[in-house]
Amino acid sequence: MDLFSPANKPEIRIQELTGERIRFILTNTDLSMANALRRIMISEVATIAIDMVQFDLNTSVLADEFIAHRLGLIPLDSTEADKIKYPRDCNCSGACKECSVELNLHVKCTEEDTTKDVTSKDLVSHDPRFTPITEGPKDAGILIAKLRKGQEIKVKCIAKKGVAKEHAKWSPCAAVAFEYDPFNKLRHTHYWIEEDEKKEWPQSKNANDDFPPLDDEIFDFTAKPNRFYFEIETIGSMKPEDIVMNAFKKLLEKISSIQMGLHSNDVPINGREPTRDVF
Amino acid sequence: MLGKKTVTFADDVRSDTSEEAFENLKKTNYAGKKLTDPVKEVEDKWQLLPAFLKVKGLVKQHIDSYNYFVETELKKIVRTNEMITSDVDPSFWLKYLDIRVGPPDRPDTDHEAHVNVFTPHECRLRDLTYSGNICVDIEYVRGKKRVVRKNTIIGKMPIMLRSSKCVLTDKSEAELAKMFECPLDPGGYFIIKGTEKVILIQEQLSKNRIIVEGDKKGLVQAYVTSSTHERKSKTYIVAKNDAKNDKITLKHNSISEEIPIVIVMKAMGIQSDKEISQLISGGNQIFLNMFSPNIEQCAKMKIFTQKQALDYIGSKVKVTRKIANVRRPMAEEALEVLSTVVLAHVPVKDLNFQPKCIYIAIMIRRVLMALANENLVDDRDYVGNKRLELAGSLLSLLFEDLFKKFNFDLKMNIDKLLKKPNRATEFDAHKQLMQHGDSITNGFVRAIATGNWTLKRFKMERAGITHVLSRLSYIAALGTMTRITSQYEKTRKVSGPRALQLCPADTPEGEACGLVKNLALMTHITTDDEEQPLRRLAFNLGIEDVNSLTGAELYRKNAYMVFLNGLMLGITCQPNNFVHDFRRLRRCGRISEFVSIYVNHHHNAVHIASDGGRVCRPLIIVENRIPKVTTKHIQKLKKDEMTFADFLAQGLVEYLDVNEENDSNIAIYEREIVNETTHLEIEPFTILGAVAGLIPYPHHNQSPRNTYQCAMGKQAIGAIAYNQLRRIDTLLYLMVYPQQPMVKTKTIELVGYDKLPAGQNAIVAVMSYSGYDIEDALVLNKASVDRGFGRCQVMRKHVALMKRYANGTYDRIGDPPAQVDCPTGPSADRFNILDSDGIAGVGERVMPGQVIVNRHTPTNLSANIPVNMPIVNAPVIQFTWKHSPLTYKAPEPGYIDKVCVTTTEQEQTLIKILIRQTRIPELGDKFSSRHGQKGVCGIIVPQEDMPFADSGICPDIIMNPHGFPSRMTVGKMIELLAGKAGVLKGELQYGTAFGGSKVEDMSKILIKHGYSYSGKDYVTSGITGEPLSAYIFFGPVYYQKLKHMVVDKMHARARGPRAVLTRQPTEGRSRDGGLRLGEMERDCLVGYGASMLLMERLMISSDQFDVHVCEQCGLLGYKGWCQNCKSSKFMVTMQMPYAAKLLFQELQSMNIAPRLILEEF
Repeated sequence: MDLFSPANKPEIRIQELTGERIRFILTNTDLSMANALRRIMISEVATIAIDMVQFDLNTSVLADEFIAHRLGLIPLDSTEADKIKYPRDCNCSGACKECSVELNLHVKCTEEDTTKDVTSKDLVSHDPRFTPITEGPKDAGILIAKLRKGQEIKVKCIAKKGVAKEHAKWSPCAAVAFEYDPFNKLRHTHYWIEEDEKKEWPQSKNANDDFPPLDDEIFDFTAKPNRFYFEIETIGSMKPEDIVMNAFKKLLEKISSIQMGLHSNDVPINGREPTRDVF
Repeated sequence: MLGKKTVTFADDVRSDTSEEAFENLKKTNYAGKKLTDPVKEVEDKWQLLPAFLKVKGLVKQHIDSYNYFVETELKKIVRTNEMITSDVDPSFWLKYLDIRVGPPDRPDTDHEAHVNVFTPHECRLRDLTYSGNICVDIEYVRGKKRVVRKNTIIGKMPIMLRSSKCVLTDKSEAELAKMFECPLDPGGYFIIKGTEKVILIQEQLSKNRIIVEGDKKGLVQAYVTSSTHERKSKTYIVAKNDAKNDKITLKHNSISEEIPIVIVMKAMGIQSDKEISQLISGGNQIFLNMFSPNIEQCAKMKIFTQKQALDYIGSKVKVTRKIANVRRPMAEEALEVLSTVVLAHVPVKDLNFQPKCIYIAIMIRRVLMALANENLVDDRDYVGNKRLELAGSLLSLLFEDLFKKFNFDLKMNIDKLLKKPNRATEFDAHKQLMQHGDSITNGFVRAIATGNWTLKRFKMERAGITHVLSRLSYIAALGTMTRITSQYEKTRKVSGPRALQLCPADTPEGEACGLVKNLALMTHITTDDEEQPLRRLAFNLGIEDVNSLTGAELYRKNAYMVFLNGLMLGITCQPNNFVHDFRRLRRCGRISEFVSIYVNHHHNAVHIASDGGRVCRPLIIVENRIPKVTTKHIQKLKKDEMTFADFLAQGLVEYLDVNEENDSNIAIYEREIVNETTHLEIEPFTILGAVAGLIPYPHHNQSPRNTYQCAMGKQAIGAIAYNQLRRIDTLLYLMVYPQQPMVKTKTIELVGYDKLPAGQNAIVAVMSYSGYDIEDALVLNKASVDRGFGRCQVMRKHVALMKRYANGTYDRIGDPPAQVDCPTGPSADRFNILDSDGIAGVGERVMPGQVIVNRHTPTNLSANIPVNMPIVNAPVIQFTWKHSPLTYKAPEPGYIDKVCVTTTEQEQTLIKILIRQTRIPELGDKFSSRHGQKGVCGIIVPQEDMPFADSGICPDIIMNPHGFPSRMTVGKMIELLAGKAGVLKGELQYGTAFGGSKVEDMSKILIKHGYSYSGKDYVTSGITGEPLSAYIFFGPVYYQKLKHMVVDKMHARARGPRAVLTRQPTEGRSRDGGLRLGEMERDCLVGYGASMLLMERLMISSDQFDVHVCEQCGLLGYKGWCQNCKSSKFMVTMQMPYAAKLLFQELQSMNIAPRLILEEF
């Protein structure tokens, strides 16, 4: 298949789009591209997450590392994550406004008989663009710890931009479902059956969007997959369509850097001559 | 029931053909039920189990036993040793009136805080002993008056947690929480100097019972281990079954040689041969023939009368008495031995030897029976022939010994004082009593702390009686509480426990396999019970007294001998009626529910047992094919209108010990009840113990896998107790996010494992991935690890004790030095984390080598420096201090979690510091499912590379399918299936042994939610995006993280410390030791011929040393000087291992001259 001919431009058809999930069909592309998209969505879409926690006071029952870990996993609104620099690209030595967001948490329990819940709603962000996400006003927030009377937590958190390759807390999506060929026409898999394949194996919901095989269809061993069913569920830090778009951007970046690499054989890389020329 | 119905409805059936009649019969209805309906099950009869555990608790055996000791046995012991008299003053006496153990009491009562309760947790933190005062009431003579003194303290008794004396008993959860105690903690252990100690259950052969055993050579012997409060002895009746010597003899430690048995009988007053032979054979010709040579032998020895027999025995008796005593005639000596030492447990009152004669006769007959039929020997491994000794009985042995010693010392002291001719004050024995305070206290503390039970009186020397309560996980703690160790020879190999009272799975692998066992869930161990009422009852039920019997009656047809705790009471001719009546009385509650009675038809005997240490368990009584417990009762139980005690009192449920169990016909399920059935099992899964009860579907696993899991469940990291964060233990492993298992069992709920779990539900894909999963290695998902899978905290205690020394000096804590000697050196930040009080601050990060307590020790510990002298007139003595700081030595940094500053009993300051590490799973960490399937982490893979199901779910763990075929852990597969169904349906599933959620139902749930019934999923490769060609078994399995972690084990060294003596590298990871190139490795190199490599490994890298050798004399010398030759002419230098040089010098010191003969090489 010629990927670059105008007739074969990849196409996306969105099946479903809600606040936290998107379902779409990607057509006219190669399996490797589709899978690359999936992989990037999981691991390379940049988000903001708490990365450093400075403990001023922690008299709760939970250990410092424990709370820090929980704080890190709280999804922060990362819709504008591209407005912020990666820490490694920033000129500052530690953390500055360019590359980080400070959040503060200071809770003390004064209630007599009950415990007090410390939630993500207690996190006060210095930058209104990057706040812990909430699902409407009724949302109680994500529980961080419970305090008893007299216990107190006072911490300073520094959120940074990052990708899930480094730590899963930067991943914007919860689950990415990916499928092609729900009827197994390509025979990429072998159903394990006792008696009857159709009886024993439930159909995936993507089967409704695919073309069921004819009873007398002849197996085409040259066929290539070109309809890919995606379903992405976010953790709330980003809109699902943004994840897909950002992933495409990232993919494009990667492809173009490969292209650059392929076309610039003679250009010194990192100031050195390509090794090929040595001989 | 079936039979009855047939009769009832016979009238309705009016058909001609029998076939039709049968068809009609099947259709007949009665109260809406058909005749062919299965027998109705008693609904939820397992509810009896929580009811049982509510009253009995998981470790009730220990607590009951201790309570019995403290409340009953203690008083008995004092009563038998109540009088102290003086040899000097005959008018003096002291009598103990009563004894009791007080509530737990703080040792430093003058302490301000003594207003509040003394809790076990304070003991743990302060390294104290949880004990209460032993108070006695005494009556004694002072001057000429009789004085009564109450509440005199004679020592301290360690108190078992949750026993009747413990402050935790009958407290609500909130009250327990105030005392920092976990409500799920079972108790049953002691706290000695801050460590929790368990007195393990000891297994031993029954006391006071006849055991017949044979060996391969044909020797048959019957023996009895007699045990009374006064004496313990072993009596043998031996028959050497060979042609030359077929006589039966009596063997006993106090008699120097074996005595022909007829002589013994004659010595005991049965002089007529006829009477003897009748007692033994009872007219049976075979036994008479077998026994007659013995009578003949006796006649040949010309012993006919009792006097002659006694003289004969008397000459063989070992006299142990001191020479001071007057020597008695030999016959008297023999009489004494026969009445009190031989078979000491058979009482001889007023020289009435009748019971003892009959007892010996029975033993002889048992020997003869075994000679005639070798199957009639007893099985020493049979649980019915064993008794379990618990904390109570062991403590009572110890107390008796300590109390006797205490009294003896007291008596000696009183005698010494009374000997003095003129005393300044009136003699008061009470003062003496007070001065003897510590011997009992220390005796208890020492025994429990070391586990050595040394009782000189019984020549008992046992080690390893106590264990430290393992707090690795909650299950480990439970496991130590139910453990049984065997006391006798370690060489005996038993092929696993065989009684339903012992867990079939839970035994260690290897050496102690089958010797160490565990109790099953519903097991109870009896305590001693009064014999006298039972004896009276037995006679009331029509027993012929043993004293009025002769041999003829003894072996009459249909005559059954009745034994009470191994002692013969008499005979009965209607054993079944007798047993039936007896049982009925027990079910009415007229006698203790733990008294057992059973018939032994081989020996024509009825045995009643009321002694302590028998294992028993409750069963539902079945009468006329109807279980007595009905659904109605269970409903009442659920509504809390009935307790387990009511079930016992109403005769619905009863306890059976192993022997009585063997005399009963027990149905496991209602449908199996037949006419002969006497009992119904409460629940079959109670055969497993608390540890094996965690395994889901254990009945589907290969049995050793369950055994492996029992060992591994104890190493799993999880929640330990509700007070886990209050504890300062030497080593504490906690899981950050423990989860209760998706597939639980009834046992899990009963023991509270769902509240204190040790593991997480991991989504497992059973497939091969990457090659880093061979040999049971697991592939972990990096995203799961990032999100907290398998994360755990390790806390380690570091202790600094501020000592006081004999010369009045003491340790002190110094504040951190204002400036370090060398601010740029490697140890510049050694004192960085210290607060101004010289102790590391809570929350600080500790690097290896940093100081956590800046302790100073006085330099002079011997000279007497009066520190506490008033400053005014004291000479100014400078005493100096040196640094002896407590440093953090672990290779990985940690954080200060807690600091505890307190004082010990000796008023020394004790500083405990808890240092915490949070550990994330890494390569080489060990994990295990609940099916004995352990594996280490082989690789951690990023999420995008992980395979995923069509819904986008990635597994947390990928497990290699090669783990299944040879292990045959089908239970694990069913767990996965049930877990997956549970997840989809949103409820927990049960994998209870011999029950649990059915595979069929699980498959139905899967199908309902759009999954394959097989639990397999369509899985796509994360790397290529292509579906895997095979379908993958995919779902949640409960995984445990085990305590073996790579960071604790990894070790390498290039250079490092060396041992002082040999200058060779030290050994072991803890000392940063070298890695040894051992003998076998050396052999390889020798065989290969790599001499230079050998030279390097064995000398240059180890302990190379330059020596100077004199070529002339061959001895070692100085550099350039041979002291032996007084010359410098022939000195040469060479290298050799320092150890070799050391050897030469040591040889020289032994007057051996090792000479080196050097050649050019």
